[in-house]
Amino acid sequence: MSDDPMTTPRAMRGRAPDVFHPGGWVPMKEYPQREPVDFVVIGTGAGGGPLIARLAERGYAVIGFDAGPYFRPLEDFASDETSQSQLFWTDERLVDGANPLRLGSNNSGRAVGGSTVHYAMVSLRFRPEWFKSRTLLGYGADWPLDWQEMWRYYAQAERDLAIAGPVSYPWGPKRPRYPYRAHEINGAAEVLARGAEAMGYQWAETPLATVSAPRGESPPCVYRGFCRVGCSTNAKQSQLVTYIPRALAAGAEIRDLAMVGRIAVDAAGRACGVHYHRNGAWHFQAARNVIVAGYAIETPRLLLNSATDRFPEGLANGSGLVGRYLMTQSNQAVYGVMDEIVRWNKGPPSLTITEHWNYEDRKDFHGGYCWMAQGPLPVEWSAALSGSRRLWGAALREKMGDYNHQVGLKMVGEMLPHFDNRVSLADETDRYGLPIARVTYSWHDNDKAMIQHALGEMQRSLELVGARDIWRQENDTNHLAGTARMGSDGKSSVVDADCRSWDIPNLWICDGSVFPTTGGVNPSLTITAIALRTADRICELHRAGDLRF
Amino acid sequence: MANTASPDGAPRAALALLGSLTGVALVAALHSRSPAPATRPSMKAPAPDPAAANRAARRLNRAAGTLAASVLLDSAVEHYRGQFENRMMYTPLVTAAMALGVSAHGTMDQRQTSHMVRDTVYLLTALVGVIGTGFHLYNVRRKVGGISWQNLFYGAPVGAPMAIGLSGLLGYLSERVRETPPGQRPMIWGLPAGRAVGVASGLGMAGTVGEAGLLHFRGRFHDPFMYLPVAMPPVAALALGRSALGPTGEDRRATRWWLRATAILGLSGTVFHAIGVGRDMGGWRNWQQNILNGPPIPAPPAFTGLALAGLAALGLLEDHPDD
Ligand SMILES: Cc1cc2nc3c(=O)[nH]c(=O)nc-3n(C[C@H](O)[C@H](O)[C@H](O)COP(=O)(O)OP(=O)(O)OC[C@H]3O[C@@H](n4cnc5c(N)ncnc54)[C@H](O)[C@@H]3O)c2cc1C
Ligand code: SF4
Repeated sequence: MSDDPMTTPRAMRGRAPDVFHPGGWVPMKEYPQREPVDFVVIGTGAGGGPLIARLAERGYAVIGFDAGPYFRPLEDFASDETSQSQLFWTDERLVDGANPLRLGSNNSGRAVGGSTVHYAMVSLRFRPEWFKSRTLLGYGADWPLDWQEMWRYYAQAERDLAIAGPVSYPWGPKRPRYPYRAHEINGAAEVLARGAEAMGYQWAETPLATVSAPRGESPPCVYRGFCRVGCSTNAKQSQLVTYIPRALAAGAEIRDLAMVGRIAVDAAGRACGVHYHRNGAWHFQAARNVIVAGYAIETPRLLLNSATDRFPEGLANGSGLVGRYLMTQSNQAVYGVMDEIVRWNKGPPSLTITEHWNYEDRKDFHGGYCWMAQGPLPVEWSAALSGSRRLWGAALREKMGDYNHQVGLKMVGEMLPHFDNRVSLADETDRYGLPIARVTYSWHDNDKAMIQHALGEMQRSLELVGARDIWRQENDTNHLAGTARMGSDGKSSVVDADCRSWDIPNLWICDGSVFPTTGGVNPSLTITAIALRTADRICELHRAGDLRF
Repeated sequence: MANTASPDGAPRAALALLGSLTGVALVAALHSRSPAPATRPSMKAPAPDPAAANRAARRLNRAAGTLAASVLLDSAVEHYRGQFENRMMYTPLVTAAMALGVSAHGTMDQRQTSHMVRDTVYLLTALVGVIGTGFHLYNVRRKVGGISWQNLFYGAPVGAPMAIGLSGLLGYLSERVRETPPGQRPMIWGLPAGRAVGVASGLGMAGTVGEAGLLHFRGRFHDPFMYLPVAMPPVAALALGRSALGPTGEDRRATRWWLRATAILGLSGTVFHAIGVGRDMGGWRNWQQNILNGPPIPAPPAFTGLALAGLAALGLLEDHPDD
């Protein structure tokens, strides 16, 4: 039998890969397809992973489906940038709008562990006010969540993922000490720090989900900087090496290379299982509850693709908002060259951060942003030079010669939610015969104002530390959110605070798509905190008799 | 196989073994009722004995040598890792090697006079320790963020050069003890030698605890045994301090056993650190990288050196009671 994780499922016959030992296996429970399991979770990433683990740990029968492969990090990940594309969702999608998104490498993963297998590990908390940005800050929409409760779930997520962060974090309300100490900062991170000090802004080591000391079977980070190709040491605390092993140990089943094409609804209008494609054929898994955690494009696509006569607009779409209010985050950058050697690719890419403009409200646009140090690997860098700076041939070769002197600052900025930015279904179908997603995106004036502000600030910071040959990369965006927003009523939102859909009481959506606003920080820790909360809420609802099994 | 904070498999067994060894030493330290050696002069009959002074001096040479060996290997690894980017970075290697040499010489030397070369090398070593501390402090302050956790964790370790300084100091004290004229009690800086050496080693131990504590905090005390070097030596240092400053006639058995346990701890620390190296990516198969990045194997015996000095101080106090 072939051991190509891209073509042959690995979690089969009562066992799943042991991610910590080459060639090793761990036992895995298997559930029959005909008998309904308590929960089917679609997607095993930042949202799905913790849900599968927590629900299994509470004794529920859970199956996690993922369209992606089950990697063995110690064997499958090479220190080779070009092997990276295996990690991404590269199926066809249509993009349009005034600012079409670039999809794939920078925003959607497909693997057991989801995008966290190749994410950059930046693990930040929201600013508390963002949970009530409409009321307190005058833009976007309020979340139905209380920041203090979220603070507790953030702490739990940080413990579960052994986040390595500074001893004290300079922004926001007090938080418990990060479980692991911050990593040593590299040359590029130091340039950010010096620039921030010159501007009178605070800076900090970025809290990262990679360990700075051994943890269980994870060795500490070795600072080679291949994080986004997939960490081949297991220092990175992705869902693949944290929640997924926990889930298996607690009796959950994982089905890899299993693409869910449709959620089935019974005559009573309740979700009753999923149709999924695995090993070349379609199958049906019965379930008492279905939780969708496929991220901001695949989640609405699946809900829309599951339309029935009873729900002609797609599932959970009584409000008509499934697919609406898609948000990305602005990810513009400013680059320069230092006289001294920097070696920006050594270590995780974003070792320092300033959240100054997330907590400073004296500005003439809504929302916040942070910026972080950068360290693109050579292929990615040459793509930026050719794609964004339009350098070719000899000019490109010459600039690549500066690689070890290069520095850069990259923003993560809050784009505001707009009704017209959306995911809908195209007429074309994919290899499974399912309509593909059409992603429509346009920047609005506030987004543009923030980007210009950030570019100016980042440029000033680089100038203050003596960088030369400064240029701006103006077109990049990254993380996604929205498309199944949570809220406090069924008219203006798709799910409630517990990630339960308003329309179908046993259909849940728990991933980045429930964000009503996206904040000025990377989203994964917030997604994970919401998932941990949802798992707790499901248990409470069950206990209170509000859940039918 | 869930990824938790506890060590696994073979390392766990080895850790358990080492831990119990250390524990046994500790329990022995607390409960020992072993009689005092018969050779020990009675408390109330001070009869200054040049042979005893020489013995104490040689013990101090041994302590200084242990510290020097620890510094020699540790700074060799750390400064190699730092690619000797500054030529000053060879200094601790040279001085520690010299201190090690003269300490070996002193340990075997039965004569009752100090030795000019030894004395000079020790003084120089102490001086290098002070200057090195200055350099390391300067290095930390110069970095962005100044005196911050980041720079204390990853900048030049502020406490490390003090170890070589302490080696020099102990050696210097040894020479002073050695040159005690026959019939007199060993005195240093106008103080009874046992008390001076006791205070110096107690303070040195406290500083070393600070260093170990800082670095183990950086490693988030990920292994429970990492608490040992911040738990045991402080007790030893306090007990030593009390013995050094307290009245002569006091029972010092507990102090002695704490110091012995600390000496063992310093040695077993190398094994703990070796296990730690094995937990880095690739384990010992990847030793060329992991020796540099993992916990410093030669560092813990600094505790042994200081504990030996403390024991020498106790010996001095008992051989030459001063009231
Ligand atoms: C290169 C990169 C770097 C990033 N860096 C950071 C960072 O540093 N910090 C941060 O906070 N965030 C970062 N992110 C974003 C972060 O990874 C995502 O926001 C987060 O993982 C989203 O969580 P999720 O659970 O919603 O979806 P994902 O983690 O993407 O998981 C979704 C999973 O669902 C599966 N799936 C989808 N549809 C189906 C279906 N129909 N059937 C079966 N399976 C399905 C997919 O295969 C995928 O594995 C980064 C993202 C990328 C791409
Ligand atoms: S730099 Fe650290 S987290 Fe990134 S791939 Fe290497 S070991 Fe993994």
